[in-house]
Amino acid sequence: MIKIESLSKSFGKIKALDNLNLDIKKGELLGIIGPNGAGKTTAIRIICCILKPDSGDVLVNGMSIHQEPIQIKSMIGYLPEEPNLYERFKAKDLLRYFAELYGVPKDRITGRIDEMLELVGMSHRADDRINTFSKGLRQRIGIARALVHDPEILIFDEPTMGLDPATSSNIREFIRDLKGDKTIILCTHYMDEADSLCDRVVILDQGKILDMGTPNDLKSKIHGDIILNIKVEDPDDGDIKLIQGLSTVTGVDVVDNQYTISLRSKKDINDIINVFEGDILSINTKEPTLEDVFINSFKQG
Amino acid sequence: MYLLILLNRDDNGLKFTTISKWEFLETLKSRKFLTIFFLQISVLFLMIFVFNAFATNIESQQGISITPSLAGFASLDVDDEGRLFSKYINPDLITITHSTFDESMENLNAGETMAVVLVPEDSLDKIRDIGTIDVKLYLDQADPKRSVVRDEVNRTAKLMAVGMSNSWINSLTPQNSTPEVVTQESAGESLPMQIITKAMIAILLFLPLFLFGNMIIDSVVGEKERKTGEILMAMPINPSDIILGKSMAVLGIIAIQIAIWMAILLITGFEISSPILVYLLVLITAVPVIGVTVIIAAYSKNYKEAGIGLTFGYILIVGFIMIPTLAYLSNKSLISNISPLTMVMRLFSGDIIHAYEFLIPIGFMVFLSAVTYGISIKLFQRDDVVFGPRPGLIRLILEFVGLKKCIG
Repeated sequence: MIKIESLSKSFGKIKALDNLNLDIKKGELLGIIGPNGAGKTTAIRIICCILKPDSGDVLVNGMSIHQEPIQIKSMIGYLPEEPNLYERFKAKDLLRYFAELYGVPKDRITGRIDEMLELVGMSHRADDRINTFSKGLRQRIGIARALVHDPEILIFDEPTMGLDPATSSNIREFIRDLKGDKTIILCTHYMDEADSLCDRVVILDQGKILDMGTPNDLKSKIHGDIILNIKVEDPDDGDIKLIQGLSTVTGVDVVDNQYTISLRSKKDINDIINVFEGDILSINTKEPTLEDVFINSFKQG
Repeated sequence: MYLLILLNRDDNGLKFTTISKWEFLETLKSRKFLTIFFLQISVLFLMIFVFNAFATNIESQQGISITPSLAGFASLDVDDEGRLFSKYINPDLITITHSTFDESMENLNAGETMAVVLVPEDSLDKIRDIGTIDVKLYLDQADPKRSVVRDEVNRTAKLMAVGMSNSWINSLTPQNSTPEVVTQESAGESLPMQIITKAMIAILLFLPLFLFGNMIIDSVVGEKERKTGEILMAMPINPSDIILGKSMAVLGIIAIQIAIWMAILLITGFEISSPILVYLLVLITAVPVIGVTVIIAAYSKNYKEAGIGLTFGYILIVGFIMIPTLAYLSNKSLISNISPLTMVMRLFSGDIIHAYEFLIPIGFMVFLSAVTYGISIKLFQRDDVVFGPRPGLIRLILEFVGLKKCIG
């Protein structure tokens, strides 16, 4: 659906994208994570034909951003990081304005606006001006605006940034509901958001891809499958040697009286508990997160 | 030409009209805009009031002159043997030369005088017989100051006619045997005031062009400052649609403003000759003025920068509009017609204007429009100008003139 080929872009002496290559499949929800200045926004602005690359190309359904930017733009619904909307417009007028710009047939515009307002739960505020809305409500209208022409591709840049947990959760639900029907690119700082929503995640830094894969694949690369945290009353060096000798254990760290043990499977958990012979104060398991993957990628990168 | 290419593109039709429509309607709905619009109309009323009071004051106070150096402002050759007519013409303003009709006409054709008045030799006899005197006035149509001479001659003729009528009536009623003394009411500076009034109206008509700079700045720079431009750039439209759409919306507002402006001037008693032509000339001038403003807005990072740019830009535009007109008033020349203000002044003076003379300002305005909108669109198409880091002016100019390689 989207093929990024050797994409490079510099702003003065700063290289925002450095020979980026990426394929995004139809119906896929791809997450792009990375620190500030990693090149995430530059990449999606180029896909949206807002910026022109210094070199390379993006093909959307086989169309080049250099040759057919207008057609590509009409296939994309873009929600930028800040819900920047025209303050003086009423919600329904704003949607009508963008529907007209997107070329939605006139006889379908009103129905589409009503549908979108209902989807984002804003039908009761249709006649209110944007400047009376909170950031969360603006973001909802922003999503409705991005969807008003029923695009095949959706690009969300930090859609939940700065929103309260309840609104963030609502917006994640919108995105989850759209999954499968649309090809979605989601730029986010929130690792749990990428983990729970994305089919595939790309870790970007300084315009280059550090790692890429499904969230589970990425997580399994760093710690094995399971992490066991055990707090004991009296740590003993002999215990460490016994644990390291177990077949599925891949690593043991001790800080004060706390052991962090990485395991490939749950098979040896009982044996580990037996090693401490009732000296255990607390025990819990922790699966690796994308945050661990992210930090690990930077350590290695 | 550039506009035609834009209109004929087959990619997305006339999307700029959508932007124009919404910008125009939303502007008209804006309370802030309506307040400013109302204030502008109020200021116009105030200016008219002050100007009228000023003019009345000048005309009513003898000896007070705002134009002490107007001696010899206009010239008139007179063939008036009995000095009946010429002694009532204001010598402070018009230099009178007495000569024969033939000599006078030679002077007129040689451009040494602006007008010739021929008073018949038998005029004194005709007055005695209560007959009609046929005074003839010959004017140099190409001279803008001829209206001053024409008005003064008309005024003098009327004055003479009233005096003679009163004298005749008195002669029929013996009890009022006091001879009627024909005196000219002081016109003060009324003659130059005619030119001042025409200039005042013309300038007032061009004033709206400079009142909407902030609206364009808000429309274009506001997209950058409020970061709404990013969404607009993601729409399936070209940057040229954005620039044209916003400019056309402002042009629509200016068109309304000028129409209201003209209506107010007409209602308050100002005379506007050929109002439709005048309206079109003012409106066509608005197009490149908006173009220059859009260039400033497209390049500016913020309102502050745009405000500074606007000040310099508008000084240049005012200079361009005013200087040819002033040059025309002092010395007629074809090139002075390059300014639409000159053409408006000529229309006000009742001048006969040939079609090719209209082509000069209109052609120049079209050329300026193509250049200014072309530059605006080029600027707005550049990532670095819209999203930064913005290149310096010198670098941009060198790139525009094709010297990119020189700067690496």
